[in-house]
Amino acid sequence: MAAPTTERPASTGDTRELAPARRGNRAGPALLTVLTWIVGIGFFFPILWMVLTAFKKEADAYTSPPSLFFTPTLEQFETVFSSGIGPYLLNSLFATVMSTVFVLLLAVPAAYAVSLRPVKKTQDVLFFFISTKMLPVVAAIVPIYVVVNNIGMLDNIWTLVVLYTAMNLPIAVWMMRSFFQEVPKELLEAASMDGASLWRSMREVVLPVVSPGIAATSLICVIFAWNEFFFAVNLTAATAATVPVFLVGFITSEGLYFAKLCAAATMCALPVVVAGWIAQNKLVQGLSFGAVK
Amino acid sequence: MADVVFDQASRVYTAGAKPAVNRLDLEIAEGEFVVLVGPSGSGKSTALRMLAGLEEIDDGEIRIGGRNMVGVPSRDRDIAMVFQNYALYPNKTVGDNMAFPLKMRGVDKATQQEKVRAAADILGLTDYLDRKPKALSGGQRQRVAMGRAIVREPQVFLMDEPLSNLDAKMRVSTRTEIAAMQRRLGVTTVYVTHDQVEAMTMGDRVALLADGKLQQFDTPADLYDKPANAFVAGFIGSPAMNLFTLPVSAEGVRIGSSELRLPREVQSRISGDRVTLGIRPEQWGVANGDGGASAGGVKAQVDVVEELGSDAYLYAHLDDDAQTAVVVRTAGRSGARRGDQIVLTPTSDELHLFDPESGDRL
Amino acid sequence: MTVTEQRPAEIVPRQPASAGREGWIRRAPLLPALIFTIIVTQLPFLFTIYYSLQSWNLVRPGSAQFVGLDNYVKVFTDSQFRGVAVNTVVLTAGAVLISMVLGLAFALLLDRQFRGRGFVRTLLITPFLITPVAAALLWKTVLFDPTYGLINFVLSPFGAGQTDWISAFPLTSVMVALVWQWTPFMMLLTLAGLQSQPHDVLEAARVDGAGSFAIFREVTLPHLRRFIELGIVLGAIYLVNTFDAIYMMTQGGPGTASANLPFYIYQRAFLGFDIGQSAAMGVVVVIATIIVSTFALRLIFRSFQTEEG
Repeated sequence: MAAPTTERPASTGDTRELAPARRGNRAGPALLTVLTWIVGIGFFFPILWMVLTAFKKEADAYTSPPSLFFTPTLEQFETVFSSGIGPYLLNSLFATVMSTVFVLLLAVPAAYAVSLRPVKKTQDVLFFFISTKMLPVVAAIVPIYVVVNNIGMLDNIWTLVVLYTAMNLPIAVWMMRSFFQEVPKELLEAASMDGASLWRSMREVVLPVVSPGIAATSLICVIFAWNEFFFAVNLTAATAATVPVFLVGFITSEGLYFAKLCAAATMCALPVVVAGWIAQNKLVQGLSFGAVK
Repeated sequence: MADVVFDQASRVYTAGAKPAVNRLDLEIAEGEFVVLVGPSGSGKSTALRMLAGLEEIDDGEIRIGGRNMVGVPSRDRDIAMVFQNYALYPNKTVGDNMAFPLKMRGVDKATQQEKVRAAADILGLTDYLDRKPKALSGGQRQRVAMGRAIVREPQVFLMDEPLSNLDAKMRVSTRTEIAAMQRRLGVTTVYVTHDQVEAMTMGDRVALLADGKLQQFDTPADLYDKPANAFVAGFIGSPAMNLFTLPVSAEGVRIGSSELRLPREVQSRISGDRVTLGIRPEQWGVANGDGGASAGGVKAQVDVVEELGSDAYLYAHLDDDAQTAVVVRTAGRSGARRGDQIVLTPTSDELHLFDPESGDRL
Repeated sequence: MTVTEQRPAEIVPRQPASAGREGWIRRAPLLPALIFTIIVTQLPFLFTIYYSLQSWNLVRPGSAQFVGLDNYVKVFTDSQFRGVAVNTVVLTAGAVLISMVLGLAFALLLDRQFRGRGFVRTLLITPFLITPVAAALLWKTVLFDPTYGLINFVLSPFGAGQTDWISAFPLTSVMVALVWQWTPFMMLLTLAGLQSQPHDVLEAARVDGAGSFAIFREVTLPHLRRFIELGIVLGAIYLVNTFDAIYMMTQGGPGTASANLPFYIYQRAFLGFDIGQSAAMGVVVVIATIIVSTFALRLIFRSFQTEEG
C-alpha cells in the first residue's frame, strides 16, 4: 500500500471526453455528479442548519415550517459567553494541548524504536498498544474513579491530561510508525556515512522528514481529546470540566432553547471541525492505526 | 587516498544459512577504480555495504589503508557513498546537502562554502545550490549525490548502482563523466553494478561475483578474453558466448553429427572424454550452406536475424540438433535471412575450453 | 585465477561486543510509552477484578466486604444486563454495517473526477468531526424534535408529521445519529482503498472486455475486501464504547430500552453507586471483548501483514 490518498491523475475523466463512442452516454456521469452533490449537501445539512439556527433569535428557531430567511443575530453567542463557557473552553484547551504534547513526547521516540531501529518483539509491543484500544473504557472507569478520588485528583484538569494521553498514545505510536517507515533507510545510512551521530541524524535528517506526520498526528490527538466526554463527565465537576460537559450542563440550566443550544454546540464543535478539515488527508491513516495511507 | 583489502571477508545473516558474501578476497590499489559486478543476489551490494560499515563483517577482515575496519562505525571510516536512489536530504537545499558531511566534521563555514562551490563548479550545479532536491531532474540529483561525496575528499568512494535510476542516454553520458572525474581526483573507488557494459567501460579492474563468491578479478580485457570459468564466460559479453558441452573426438569435438576440428594446441588441453567449448559470437566464420560445405564446419539454419547497422546477429539452430541454439555475429547487411542454411567455422584459435564438471577454464 | 576455495569452517554471524547494551539502547525510547500505557490502562483492570469480588456501595463508606463470585452470579441472573448486552450487539453491529454500506456507496460516488470533488468530500467528512455530544444534541433537538424538528418537517408531506422519534424508537434513533457520524469514517477508508487500486489493472480489465459492473465485482471488490474488513473491525472497536450519544439522547431509556453496556455500567456505578457489581460487569465485558478481539486482531494483523509484505 504505497499509493497516497492524493487525487488520481485526471486521465480517466479526460479520455472519456475524447472517446466518440461514449458521446451518447454523457448524461450518466452528469447525473452521478448531481447525485453526489445532493448526498454531500444532504449529509452536511444538519450541521449547516445548526450553524444557521445559532444565528437566529429564539422566535425564528421555533417556527413550523422551519424558517430559512431571518435576520442574523449574535445574541445567542453572547448568551453562551455570559453563561460562563470561558473556563470550560480554557479547560478543554489545556487538556487537549497538554495531552497532545505528552503523547508526542512519548510516541515519537517509541515509534522511532519500533520502525527505524526495530528490536525483537517489536510486533508484540505494537499489538499490545492496539489491544489497549480494544478494551472497553467503561470497565476501567470504576477503579480509575476510586484511585483518582483517593489521591484527591477528582475535578483536577491534570487527571484528564493523563487519561487523554493514555487514550491517544496507541493511535499516535502506530501513526508515527507509519510515517517513520516512509523514511528511506538510505537517508540514515547516508547521514551516518557523512559523520552524523545518532542524535544529529535524528534531529537534522529524520525529524524534518517526518514533521508533516507529526503535525497530522497532533491534529488527530487534538480531535479526540477535545471531543472526549466519558472521562470528563465522570471525573470532573465545577473546576475542571471541559466544553462537552458544559454543553450538557447548558441544557439543564437553560432548557431546550434551540438557538442557544445550537450556538453552544457550534462553539464546541468548531475548533475540531477546523482541525479535521486541515488534517483530512491524514485522517484515515491515523484512525486506521497507519494501516491505510 | 588508501588501498582497500578484503581478506576472507564474509557476511552471513543467520547462522547456518548460505553466506551472502563468502570469503571474499580483493586487493584494491590506491587510486584504482574497481567495479563489482554480478547477477542479483550475487553479494556485490552486500560486499560494498560491508566496506561501508552498513553490514557486519562476520568473518575475515576489511582493511582501508591498512587499518582493520571490523567494528569501526561508518562515520569513522573516512569513506563517502553514492546511493542508488541518491539518499538526498529532502529538507535541505543542494548546497546544504553537499555541505552536510563537512558540517558534521566541524569544518568552519567559510571552508564549507568554498568546497561546496568548487564541487558545484565541477558538476555544473552552481545555479542550483539554493534549490531543494525535489526541484531537480534525476541527472541533477545524481550529481548532487556525487557532489556530497566529493566535498568530503574521502579515502574511498563507494557507489551502489548510481546510474540505475537514470534514463538510457543519461546513463551513457554520466558513465563517462564519473570515470573521468575519478581519474582526475584519483580517489580509490569501488563501484557496484549489475550492468556488464558499465563494468567493462568504467573499471580499471572488474570483480565478478556469483552466489556470494568471487569468480574472477581482472582487467576488463582479460575478463573477456580469458574467462576463469564457464559462468564468467557466459556473463560477460553480449550476446553471450556460445557454450556447448560436447563429446571429444580424435581431431576435435563432435557437434551434432559433424565434427568440429580444433587446432592441435587447443586439442592438447583436453583430458576427459567430454568438454565444454565456448565460442564467442564473433569467432564464427559464416559460409553459405548451399555452396558446398567446407570440411569441419557446422551446418545450421537461421531463425532470427537482428540487424543492428554496424553488425548483425544471427540466431540459428543446428541442422542435426534443433535443440542446440547458436549465436553468430557478422558484419551488417550480410543479407542473411530467416530459414537460410549456413555453415559455421570457428575463425579464431582463442577458443575457450572448460571442464564440464567444475566449469573451470582448461 | 582468483577463484576462492571454500574453507571447511562455517561462518557464523559475529556478535557485536556490546549486543546486550546495544539492545537496551534501542529499546530505551520505547520504554516510557510502554510503561505509561501499562500503568494507566492495565493496572485499573486488576483493580476492577479485585472490586468485582467485593460488595461495596459508594454511599455507605466502609461497606466493602469480600463476597466471592456473588456479583457475577447477580450479573448473569440480571435480565436487564442480558437485554443491555443484546442492545450493545444490535447497536454496534447495526451502526457498523449500515455506515459501511453507505460509506462504500459514497466512496464510489466520490471516486470520480467531477467539479467540486474536494469540497463535497469535505462536506461528507464533517459529521465525523463534530463533537459527539454536540452531534447527539443536534439530533435530539433540531432534527428529531416532534414539533419543530427538521425530520418531521421533511416527512410531513408523507403523512408522518408528529412522530416523537426518540420516544418511539429510542435505540434506532441513537443508531441513526451514530450512522450519520460514522459513515464518513467508512467512506474515507474505502475511498483510500479505491484510490490505491493500481490503474493499469483496471485498464487491463477494460481492455479484456469487462463492463463497469464486472470490473467492480471482479477487480474492485476483492481489492476493497481488506479495507472493508479493517473498517468493520475499527468501527466496532470505537462504536462498542458508545456513551455520549446515549447519555445525551435517551439516558438509556425508557427503562433500559436504549442502554448499552457502557451506559448501563456507568448507571450502576455512578447513579446506583454499586461498585462491586459494576466492576463485575466490567470484567464480563472485558472477557467478551477479548474473545471477540482475538478474532478481530487476527484480521487486523493480516491487514498489516499484507501492507508490509
